[in-house]
Amino acid sequence: MDTEQKQAEYIDYFVMKASNFNGSALADVVAEATSHPSLFAFSEILSVPNVLELEGTSNAILLDLLRMFAHGTWSEYKCIASRLPPLVPDQILKLKKLTVLTLAETNKVLPYDALMKELDISNVRELEDFLINDCMCLGIVRGKLDQLQRCFEVHFAAGRDLRPGQLGSMIQTLANWLSISDNLLISIREKLKWADTMSEVDRKHRKDVEERVEDVKKTLSHKLRTVSRPTCSTEGTKRSFLNTVE
Amino acid sequence: MLKPFPSIFRQITEAAKGLGLEENMASSSSSGLTFKLHPLVIVNISDHYTRIKSQSLPPPSTPHAASASNGATSDSSSPPPQPPPRVFGCVIGVQRGRTVEIFNSFELLYDPSTHSLDRAFLEKKQELYKKVFPNFYILGWYSTGSDAQESDMQIHRDLMDINESPLYVLLNPSINPAQKDLPVTIYESELHVIDGIPQLIFVQSSYTIETVEAERISIDHVAHLKPSDGGSAATQLAAHLTGIHSAIKMLNSRIRVLHHYLLAMQKGDIPCENSLLREVSSLLRRLPAIESEKFQDDFLMEYNDTLLISYLAMFTNCSSTMNELVDKFNTAYDRHSRRGGRSAFI
Repeated sequence: MDTEQKQAEYIDYFVMKASNFNGSALADVVAEATSHPSLFAFSEILSVPNVLELEGTSNAILLDLLRMFAHGTWSEYKCIASRLPPLVPDQILKLKKLTVLTLAETNKVLPYDALMKELDISNVRELEDFLINDCMCLGIVRGKLDQLQRCFEVHFAAGRDLRPGQLGSMIQTLANWLSISDNLLISIREKLKWADTMSEVDRKHRKDVEERVEDVKKTLSHKLRTVSRPTCSTEGTKRSFLNTVE
Repeated sequence: MLKPFPSIFRQITEAAKGLGLEENMASSSSSGLTFKLHPLVIVNISDHYTRIKSQSLPPPSTPHAASASNGATSDSSSPPPQPPPRVFGCVIGVQRGRTVEIFNSFELLYDPSTHSLDRAFLEKKQELYKKVFPNFYILGWYSTGSDAQESDMQIHRDLMDINESPLYVLLNPSINPAQKDLPVTIYESELHVIDGIPQLIFVQSSYTIETVEAERISIDHVAHLKPSDGGSAATQLAAHLTGIHSAIKMLNSRIRVLHHYLLAMQKGDIPCENSLLREVSSLLRRLPAIESEKFQDDFLMEYNDTLLISYLAMFTNCSSTMNELVDKFNTAYDRHSRRGGRSAFI
């Protein structure tokens, strides 16, 4: 996908940088990564050993910040804002964009009210500007804005980094999808068989009817030959015989 | 709608191929030309072959059989199963720089005695096509069969004076249900030194299919033509359902691949590749594909309309049949127009 390809080089760049630095020097790297306008994937950086070493040290807040950007939303950030380093406006914007992605995970139709609440945006105009300029132009989200019903229909949203438990649920979804399509295939095959058998039955029925018509005609022609009648009713016989034959 | 699918699938199959699971390819061409094939050419070749084959099949007593087929004509006394006749023709198109685009093709007669194509006809056709398509040049020739043969090199050499490096497009008409790619191969000729002697041999080249919207629509239409007598309702339903069935089957197999891949990743057999996982998660988020209330309403309305119409049609059918029956009954047992007391039938 395009988003992934666009990010690939940035991811490589940051992973390289992260592996070169250590400890508090990583603060710069983290700050740069989180405010970079085109980078939305942080799990690769999170798996660099130097970064993981930060766990438990005084710079653990850097790790938490990275994790927040990888999995969290704006409202989660507000809850624990005191523990994390302050964010510059770039980072705030990015976190809001990531929030939109997370919201798009659960619902396909996002009402404006929910979006405004989650993103702390007060009026519709600002919300729409944010969605259009910052999300759709970047290509991370694609969808339709419905102003009359005040909702945002999401057609496509780029993926965020996976939470550890998400892999299991994704596998489950795929398994469901598979079983549904299998069942569909089976029911299509049955419909095909049904169509075939019904047309067979229909043909046989038609043949039977025609055979019976033939038999009746033969018996009638027998009967007529054995009957001798006065002229007037013979005419009537002939006429009615002709009618039935037609 | 599921546009992210093909790219994920391609990535996974490439990742899964890794250890030489690819099919063995013949030595590939090194000329650096990219080939673009239009589907019209493929349909033309297949149509030519089908026509010739069906014309040569009827009993040899008909005079048309012998004249229409190429090469293998059957004897009047024996109808043995023949090797399928080979058809030949020319492909034309444009070459811009390193890209060769094959647009169209036309048929040629093959003269088995001199092992060459009918030159005068080719030049006449070339002139005609030049008038309509001034940009198109003769790029090469085509034939049917399963493999390139030695005799083909002769034809290839003959064409070298029109185009210094002609192409040979080969269509394999045998239907192989297990095969996934198109049975079309494009060969180029290269001078290789074998046993100290420089020889021209065929080398396979890869190609892509390229089309414009108008061509795609018309070829799609031609490909979906149903048998001309329409068939009964059952055959039409069967044809439609079979199409849907094969499409869903393909989707099914790709989802299965994804499923296996994720399972393997979960078990740890494959290192986690985050970008792929992200793409898969974005794909899964698009399910369920359509589930708004409005869709349900429209869908149910259309469903009800269809049922209603078929009910009405059935009604009309029944009432007309009933009408006919009543008429026949009346004429058969008509008590007013006969004289005498008894009915016409004993």
